[in-house]
Amino acid sequence: MTSLVRVGILAANTLREAIRNRVLYTLVFFAVLLIGTGVLLSTLSYVERERILQDVGLAAIRLFGAAIAIFVGIGLIHSEVDRRTIYTILSKPLSRTEFLLGKYVGLVITLWLQLLIMAGVFAVCSLLVNAPLTIAHAAALVLTAMELALLASIATLFSAFTTPMLASLFTVGLYLIGHLTRNLRDLGQRSQVVAVRELSALLHQVLPDLETFNLSTQAVHTLPVATSDVLLPIAYGVGYATLVLFLASVAFERRDFR
Amino acid sequence: MNSTGGARAEVVRVEGLVKDFRVGVAARRRRVLDGISFSVREGEIFGFVGPNGAGKTTTLKILMGLIFATSGRAAIVGHDVRESGFRKHVGFLPENPYFYDYLTGREILEFYARLSGLSRGFARTRAETLLDWVGLKGAADSRLRTYSKGMLQRIGIAQALVHDPRVVFLDEPMSGLDPLGRKEIRDLVLRLREQGKTVFMNTHILTDVETLCDRVAIIVKGQIRYEGTTHQFLGVGTPETDIVFAGLSPELATRFEERGAKLRGVADRLEVRVAEKDASGVLREALGAGAQVVSVAVHRASLESIFLSAVGDAQAKENDR
Repeated sequence: MTSLVRVGILAANTLREAIRNRVLYTLVFFAVLLIGTGVLLSTLSYVERERILQDVGLAAIRLFGAAIAIFVGIGLIHSEVDRRTIYTILSKPLSRTEFLLGKYVGLVITLWLQLLIMAGVFAVCSLLVNAPLTIAHAAALVLTAMELALLASIATLFSAFTTPMLASLFTVGLYLIGHLTRNLRDLGQRSQVVAVRELSALLHQVLPDLETFNLSTQAVHTLPVATSDVLLPIAYGVGYATLVLFLASVAFERRDFR
Repeated sequence: MNSTGGARAEVVRVEGLVKDFRVGVAARRRRVLDGISFSVREGEIFGFVGPNGAGKTTTLKILMGLIFATSGRAAIVGHDVRESGFRKHVGFLPENPYFYDYLTGREILEFYARLSGLSRGFARTRAETLLDWVGLKGAADSRLRTYSKGMLQRIGIAQALVHDPRVVFLDEPMSGLDPLGRKEIRDLVLRLREQGKTVFMNTHILTDVETLCDRVAIIVKGQIRYEGTTHQFLGVGTPETDIVFAGLSPELATRFEERGAKLRGVADRLEVRVAEKDASGVLREALGAGAQVVSVAVHRASLESIFLSAVGDAQAKENDR
């Protein structure tokens, strides 16, 4: 049996757990509620009702998607160790890396399914207020999916070697910084000190640049989106997530399960 | 109980295993295993016995590749446990196991079977066979969250056997079970031996060791105090015989006592404990003097007394330091 099959079995089980435990439904419910609030807000305005709805809707999808990715991701490995389910699984003929990847892939599929539900609600709400739905909206959602996959990999990395409390601090911290690295770089470039300029550029290169996945403005204002605006961030996201998962695997392979 | 010969192949070999844990903020080293060595032979039930905190579970976790030894070597069926090659040969039931409780008994076994490399169709058949084997066919489609502790232990044994391993590792399999549950698990362990499996069992319940295990190793404070057959272990010390007499004259009793016998009066009867080699002489003499023999029993030290003595020795050495 190949590694891919074992990863697939673990991923399918992770998805089954998410569906049967119904915990995630609450978050999806709140996201749908927020999108609905967008509809309500848009009715209070006589101008740009469609844009208000879509702005709030896309922001809600991104925010709740990120919340689910982070908070489910950080518990991904810890809950297995805490409940000792990992003992019997790792005694079977599979590697720790396969286990880690299986859990990660299962989480990403779960996140994408939830994103699909939220996107469906968003589309229905948009149609209700006659807001336009263009290819830019699809592109924005595809990049949101990529951002969630990257966030899930970061949460998995911290989950692989530290406590849930520290993992949430680190992951939320990286999420916030990830949306600010461009601003920090631009701010740093204005400095007169060379070291500050170089440091800000280095930080931008090393830390995840999550704003690269944000096409909300283009979608809401129906601006043109080039193919490279989608493909380059996807390549960046896949590369970054692969590197993060590699580090997670190294940490996980060496860990003692006491 | 089986008596195992020395010709059987070793399936588990542990040599000089040391494990230090780092504890506290200062990451102070605490030695949990102090150079332990032992071996387990094919087809036997091996009892790994020790008090709580002796290092039993740590040893088992090293053998399962869940934690890594500080130094020393452990191999299962010739494979170093730091590599993953041994896993297809082993099944493992952890102490107080917890499984995905949103799955049914059938689903969990199919999941483990698929992870162990069985095809979808064979996994289904294997799950069915094992559910029958552990007596859970009636609860096969109930979620595990509705299972009792005894049922979870049985499903735990079934998952350990799902890929038909050669060696089965059980960590405190009777822990927390009622007498009926313990009997069910004991019967399953004996059936495993009948099937030719090697069983490695961590336990601190000594009656289970006496009734189930072919060989034992006693671990106290991270060191092996004894390794050998249960039979030899129970024969440690000079065997004695307890003879209960009625109508034994006080003069004869005094004479036996002077020769080293221990006397204990029970109503009008007298129990005389003598070395096994002296028993026939004492019997002849007493019968010749007109005494009646009520009972004769060979007295052996119980595993518990030997175990407590091993723990006591370790404690005394600790205090001497």
